[in-house]
Amino acid sequence: MAAYLAHYLVMVGIYTILALSLNLLIGYSGIFSLAHAAIYGIGAYASALVALKLGLGFWGGLVVAGAVGAFASALVAIPSLRVAGDYYIVASFGLQTVILTVFINWTSLTNGHAGLPGIPRPTVLGYVIDNPFKYVVLAAALAGFTYAVCHRLTHSAFGRTLRAIREDEIAAQATGKNVVLVKIVITSISSALGALAGSLYAHYITYINPTSFTLEESIFIASLVILGGTERLAGPMVGAFILLAVPEALKFLAIPDAVAAPMRQIIYGGLLILFMFVRPEGILGRARPGAKQ
Amino acid sequence: MLTRVILLVCLALFAAAPTAAQQAPIKIGAILPLTGSGASYGVWMKGGTEIAAEEINAAGGIAGHKLEVIYEDHAADASKAVNAMRRLVEVEKVPFTLTSYSAITLAVQPIGVQSKVVMMNGGGQSDSLANKDYLYNNIPVVSNEVDVLCDWLTKEKKLKAVVMIVANDEAGRNAAKSFRARFTADGGKVLGEELVALDGNDFRAQLAKLKARGGDLLFVSSYGRNVAIIADQAREIGIRIPLAATSWVLIPEVIHAKGTEGMFVTRLPFDAGSPFARKFKERYGTDAGFFAVQYYSATKIFATAAAAAMKQNGGKLDGDAIKGAIESVRTFDTIAGKLVFQPNHAALMDIEAGVLKGGKVQVEKLIKASH
Amino acid sequence: MDLLLQLLATGLVVGSLYALCALGWGLIYGTTLHFHVAHGAVFSLAAYFAYVGQKLLHLPLAVAVVAAILAAAAAGLLIDLLLYQQLERRGAFRTSLFIASLGLLILTENLLAIVFTPDPMRMDIGVLDTSLIIGPVFVTYLHVLTVVLAIGGYLALVVFLKRSRWGQAIRAVSSSPEMARTVGIDLKRVHLLTYAIGSALAAPAGILVAMDVGAEPFRGTRFVLLASVAVIMGGIGSIPGAMLGGLFLGLLENVGIWQLPSEWQSAISFGVFLLFIVLRPRGFFGRKVQSAEL
Repeated sequence: MAAYLAHYLVMVGIYTILALSLNLLIGYSGIFSLAHAAIYGIGAYASALVALKLGLGFWGGLVVAGAVGAFASALVAIPSLRVAGDYYIVASFGLQTVILTVFINWTSLTNGHAGLPGIPRPTVLGYVIDNPFKYVVLAAALAGFTYAVCHRLTHSAFGRTLRAIREDEIAAQATGKNVVLVKIVITSISSALGALAGSLYAHYITYINPTSFTLEESIFIASLVILGGTERLAGPMVGAFILLAVPEALKFLAIPDAVAAPMRQIIYGGLLILFMFVRPEGILGRARPGAKQ
Repeated sequence: MLTRVILLVCLALFAAAPTAAQQAPIKIGAILPLTGSGASYGVWMKGGTEIAAEEINAAGGIAGHKLEVIYEDHAADASKAVNAMRRLVEVEKVPFTLTSYSAITLAVQPIGVQSKVVMMNGGGQSDSLANKDYLYNNIPVVSNEVDVLCDWLTKEKKLKAVVMIVANDEAGRNAAKSFRARFTADGGKVLGEELVALDGNDFRAQLAKLKARGGDLLFVSSYGRNVAIIADQAREIGIRIPLAATSWVLIPEVIHAKGTEGMFVTRLPFDAGSPFARKFKERYGTDAGFFAVQYYSATKIFATAAAAAMKQNGGKLDGDAIKGAIESVRTFDTIAGKLVFQPNHAALMDIEAGVLKGGKVQVEKLIKASH
Repeated sequence: MDLLLQLLATGLVVGSLYALCALGWGLIYGTTLHFHVAHGAVFSLAAYFAYVGQKLLHLPLAVAVVAAILAAAAAGLLIDLLLYQQLERRGAFRTSLFIASLGLLILTENLLAIVFTPDPMRMDIGVLDTSLIIGPVFVTYLHVLTVVLAIGGYLALVVFLKRSRWGQAIRAVSSSPEMARTVGIDLKRVHLLTYAIGSALAAPAGILVAMDVGAEPFRGTRFVLLASVAVIMGGIGSIPGAMLGGLFLGLLENVGIWQLPSEWQSAISFGVFLLFIVLRPRGFFGRKVQSAEL
């Protein structure tokens, strides 16, 4: 029972990192990316591969994941420099699909569908992190780090610039803000953090394969941000706590897995619709002033 | 007087307690393809396991303990299997689990090693499954079958040039690799290879590319439902050359598909008239297949090994004890004959080669296993 | 050469399916500016309506198909009436409509997965399954029917938009909702009609795929994605663009793997699309793109 709870908390930690980093794009920059699972996956694969092939261990993997994620952010950033809004959403779908196809088909690197088993567990100062309770501490630390970075970023002049660009990109440009640079910076940070989550995931489950990084996963991460609330940093965390509780609750009802998996999705879908009616700004969000059409 | 009565009652309760309270059941896992494109295998695997467990319990269990199987569905998704394995190991604390599918088994094996849980695979055939710690395969690796198939096709059927359609996963790619190696060693040529998704349903583009390569044989290195679709679409698109495949394709959907008529196959021994097959048919309303026997055997092998282990270990049962028992017993009696675990942790079996005609395999050749 | 011709034929068939979806989605988006991802749900529903009609209600195939198209049109209309219009009444942002649409797509497809299982539900298509050999190219009558229906659907739509009163109303709303309202056009009615027609175009695509390889719950997501890609490549607001975009995408997917390994099919198609987005976001026939806000 306690092990279940610990597992739940670790997953909340991982998804908090994902949701906070995605919120930098969706909530603060108006870049509605549905490719975050691909970034998550890039981090996971990068970390797993340097651990398995170069013997680098978790912390090395974490750093590499962050760096690779930051580079990969260019894929996310470039379309955002050309288009926004609905165009961008479709572009991010495309990006997600391309990257997933690479995970599946670049078999000499990623081992394709067979995935990468036997990823080594993290060690901290000689202690091996090998049970869920120790992972909770690690996950909490990384989530805390992510929160701190996002907080610094959004409560600064840079954060104000971000919001200006989100509200009206053309006006922001007119007042001399370097929109291109800002977008590149924010996507880099968002992707680096998302990749960190991937590294943690890989070294927790000790196995990764492409099915963890699909469009469905991207939509789920976006749901955490939307339902939790985009305006406040704690919003995505609340979203993670609540939405991750759904599959655990379903387990208690002893529903067969073949039904439980789609049922979980039905609940998520239903929640999205419900929230758009009753509380579109999310649980912790602030209602946006003046409804635009 | 009253005190004596109370004491006597307490003594009686104490005496009765060990027999009244059940001995803790022995729990094992079974990670099977219960849903998805391989659900046909799951029906066989689960059925075989269930019948075996029932027979074991009816005969008194394992050293007096009931056997309880915890079924988990991997649906051909290794992530689900990994989660299932962690649940089985961390929460249910099983000392042993059945697994299936090559990639699935490879994904969960490191967890078994780390937690000292023995795994037995009755269905996956990738060569990479051999020589893995804590993992035993009561089925031959695919290269054994591929070798028989290639030799027969080149020498007896005089086929020289092959094109291959390959499932893009561990098992499919591994079998294709073995086939390519043996076919070329036998003097044949491989003209082309196309990868397809295991759960896909439209292979016309890949089949069209293979058709353009020519050849006199199409090797289908895939399994589950998509083999039937591949065969039908191949015929639809005008591919007239014969198909070939190994035993894992022999599920009802494939056997009865239009496109598989005349397919060359290898087959592992299965007695459709055995009492087990009849019992299976009665209970589940569908014909048993090779994999049903496999998992029946695997469960029975576990029971034998566990009983031996508990005897050695004074009634305690854990993964290392089971592993030791399997290694020392080594030869097990199964309803399909003697099964010997080789030093590489895989098994050898007789292999038949034949042609699929009218929903039945017409056997033309038998290669006996050399132990 | 034979191979290329075969791939062109397959590409034309697949492109026809994408074109039908794109025409429907593009019409809806151009007129309402709703990012209607639930179009994928209508696609999936249509397939299952046809399956249920034939296999469970034992209707003749043609009847089942027509009934399924009508049911899908109704479903699309209801989605606008009960979801989007209700949200708009409450002053919802366009983002909220998109998210609700996404929620509906996820909900519908997973409900279908529970009711029908994720396994493909096959239909009996009788004579349509027969192979037709045209030179070196092998297709089935079903494939020919697919192309015919796509062309037919396109022509019917073009004629409807040009000639009929309601078609002109839709065009008016599409080009400027404000002006349309000023001249007395009932926007809500036009929206409903647009959804019905758009859904009636996607439905045959879903049904034809189901007739070919069986109905599956999650296929709609992939198709609506590709429809939106096709519409952007063709140019938002352009009906010929959507048709061309769909056909182009289908051809790209199949001819793209003529020389390149087939497992990279999706990467090739979407890779080209991403290039498009960066180099020519307005697509073939669209107007120049400002930063379109969400």
